[in-house]
Amino acid sequence: MIKTETLNNIIFASLFCAAAGLISITPALAQTGVQVNANNAGLAMKVAPGELLPVSVKLLNFGQNKRVDVSIKYSIFTGAGQPIYESDETAAVETTASFVKAIPIPSGTAPGTYIAKISATYEGQLTPADSQFSFTVEPKIFGLFRNDFYVYGGITIVISVFMVLLGGILIKRRRQIRVSPFDYSGIGRDQRTFYEILSDTIMQMRARVGDEALDIAANIDGLKIDKETGRVLALTDHPAKIIATLVSEYEKVLGRKVSFSFRREKTGP
Amino acid sequence: MEKQKTILIVEDEKNLRDAVVDILQLKKFLPIEAKNGKEGVELALSKHPDLILLDLIMPQMDGMTAFKKIRKDVWGANVPVIILTNLSANSEQLVEDMVTHKPMYYLVKSDWKLHDVVDKINEILKM
Repeated sequence: MIKTETLNNIIFASLFCAAAGLISITPALAQTGVQVNANNAGLAMKVAPGELLPVSVKLLNFGQNKRVDVSIKYSIFTGAGQPIYESDETAAVETTASFVKAIPIPSGTAPGTYIAKISATYEGQLTPADSQFSFTVEPKIFGLFRNDFYVYGGITIVISVFMVLLGGILIKRRRQIRVSPFDYSGIGRDQRTFYEILSDTIMQMRARVGDEALDIAANIDGLKIDKETGRVLALTDHPAKIIATLVSEYEKVLGRKVSFSFRREKTGP
Repeated sequence: MEKQKTILIVEDEKNLRDAVVDILQLKKFLPIEAKNGKEGVELALSKHPDLILLDLIMPQMDGMTAFKKIRKDVWGANVPVIILTNLSANSEQLVEDMVTHKPMYYLVKSDWKLHDVVDKINEILKM
């Protein structure tokens, strides 16, 4: 904000500068002369080279009824004080004038901190009226500021890697569950081999054609299986007949023949 | 030097028998050939091979009959046998016989390459 006091009349030309709506101006309490206090409310402002820096300007004309023509100069300086942009325009102020000025940031602007300075001059002005605020220029990558891109990109990569690893573990675990032979040591020796053949056959076929193998097995008379895992739960008909029927069904429905492996005898019950 | 493992191939189809013999020789096994079940039983009981590859459908004596005869022998009761056949195990009697006489594998020819069969042989003989 800029407050300017003229010789005879008190004219306050208040210049509010706000970039991206984040700047607030604290009016200075002036006894005489001009006091300027501009800040950006402690929030960082960033703009990419080639983009526009929006600056909200408010001019206040206090103390006289006549119109005042104010010349406004917009400048951008590097941190070292080198100007990289300058433009000016004139605004007529009866009582107040508010507008947003878009200052183009040159495409080749190097990343860093810059200062935007807005100066107002008018006839009969005794002291300079200006306001300034700092902002950051940072290039964009895929629409994100570079630092944000790195942060979000890093987070995305970490999450992706985590998801891929998790997915891999789950798939591996599921596959292990699918291909690990079920243990039927709790089944009597006279029936165990039939359980093992049936179980291994269902598993083998499931690996080849998918869950359809389970559906077919679940519909075999005398065969009761866990429809999720394919584990054989019970045989209520002659086991050899059940195996022969299952093999026939797989051959008929899926067009696949069935090979068996016979598990080695374990010692014990 | 490790003794060559002997493999008895009981197979009536000459082309397949020759192919199996070739690959077994290549893999440093000592193959013995029988062209039907009867010859197979004779050679098995006289030569005591380390493993028998047995077809099921054969002239003179089928593979299952030969298998049963071999299993009746003291030595033959435990010899590892791989059934290599085109016959699908969709008959109750065949399944019953398999479970009773316990081959190591019942392999349907159309689903297996010779190299896979040799892998199975190696797997069994290393046990």
